[in-house]
Amino acid sequence: MITHKYDIVVIGSGPAGATVSRFAARAGLSVLLVDKKQELGAPIQCSGAVSRHALEEVGLPLAEEYILEPIYGFAIYDQAGKAKKIDYRRLKGEVYGPGPDRKPLGYVVDRRRFDRYCMMLAERAGVETWLKTEGLGYTPAADGSCTVQLRRYNQLLEVRCRVVVGADGLMSQVGKWAGLQTHIKITELAGCLQFIVDRVETDGLLEIITGHEWAPGGYAWVFPKGNGYAEIGLGVISTMTEHSAQWHLDKFMRQSFFKDRFAAARILEVQGGGVPLAAPLRTQYADNLILVGDAARHVNPITGGGIHTALSGGKIAADFLVKHLQGAEREDCSAGALAGYQSAWLAALGDKMWKLYHAKTAVFHQEDIPTRDAYLFKTMSDYFDPNSEYKKI
Amino acid sequence: MSKPPVIFSIGWNACINCGACVAICPQEAGFISPFDTIAVDRPCDIACLLCEQICPVDTIDHVVAPPPETALT
Repeated sequence: MITHKYDIVVIGSGPAGATVSRFAARAGLSVLLVDKKQELGAPIQCSGAVSRHALEEVGLPLAEEYILEPIYGFAIYDQAGKAKKIDYRRLKGEVYGPGPDRKPLGYVVDRRRFDRYCMMLAERAGVETWLKTEGLGYTPAADGSCTVQLRRYNQLLEVRCRVVVGADGLMSQVGKWAGLQTHIKITELAGCLQFIVDRVETDGLLEIITGHEWAPGGYAWVFPKGNGYAEIGLGVISTMTEHSAQWHLDKFMRQSFFKDRFAAARILEVQGGGVPLAAPLRTQYADNLILVGDAARHVNPITGGGIHTALSGGKIAADFLVKHLQGAEREDCSAGALAGYQSAWLAALGDKMWKLYHAKTAVFHQEDIPTRDAYLFKTMSDYFDPNSEYKKI
Repeated sequence: MSKPPVIFSIGWNACINCGACVAICPQEAGFISPFDTIAVDRPCDIACLLCEQICPVDTIDHVVAPPPETALT
């Protein structure tokens, strides 16, 4: 029995889902945002690094509630520990730095607080939000709308809407409901593990450590995590190693050029996840359905970063849906009518992400390990260079 | 020759609920457990074992599923 009707139903309240919802509701659409969790953002599967620009671009206030530490630049290391530092406090000290009249380049955020904050903003914009609510499937109807099957606190219910937005992350089931090709290759999904640690010093930089010895197929990282803590992690491609990410992280901490720096580290949290170093989905829409965020594989294939792409992709999706559902063709929510979402996304972001994917593929097609390592170090260094064409991705 | 179906078992003590196994899984929608892992309560007839390969903490294992005629009905 259909109990509720909305213009759109969004499955998953991460940065992408909450952003689509917020902008859609603000423009006057009725929106239901559901998430199966009782606590958003947990368990944490993300390092939490995001540029200030990415937050400002979608009108997210820079709030103490979720910010753990400001970031002022990058340090890229090769396997032996030689570093290229890109510190905006030195490069553009008049703009970037701590203190008044200066600003950070970005932040490391607490994903539990950040996701909750994004949902709170959506809720205040008029979105109906239901936690402990899982999407089970959807059925397009003859009148151009669709029915979404949900389970909320063990109760099955059906809601009617015009468009379902799949924002259910890398493990997306929504894309599979529509029969979209969502399968990711084992060579393009990095298995990642990170520790939040005490007693490791950091200096306001995102540190990225390349080299097959430490992280085959991926890279290792050391990020400031606020309160004097650090985050040490890495991602590996499983076809390039016999061992798990856990084994590699242990080796990185005990044997790398940072072993003295890490000697006193005490582990406060263990987090992990799969990070796609892959191309965006070729088709991100179906009848009455679009995908956003990790579910659409809107993830930077060089860095594995997905918060910025989720936020800006979410706004692009909302802008499209608002225009479509308030326009003359609003009765038509077939795949063909929703294809414009993907075109808008490609023009704004996707084409650049495809370019990054090709750059990343060129690195890992190098068979010779030292050549590949040198290539990866250069690609990473160029990517974070102040003059990089990808600065805003 | 197709591989025999398997039933996965997860060492929950080491599992960090990261979802990488679900992300790599080529099964249709719904082959998941309530803990954001691949399903452990029914056989997997694909048996590609990519989930075991991707697991960051190496905590997924499997047994060959009992043939249907011996399964409890």
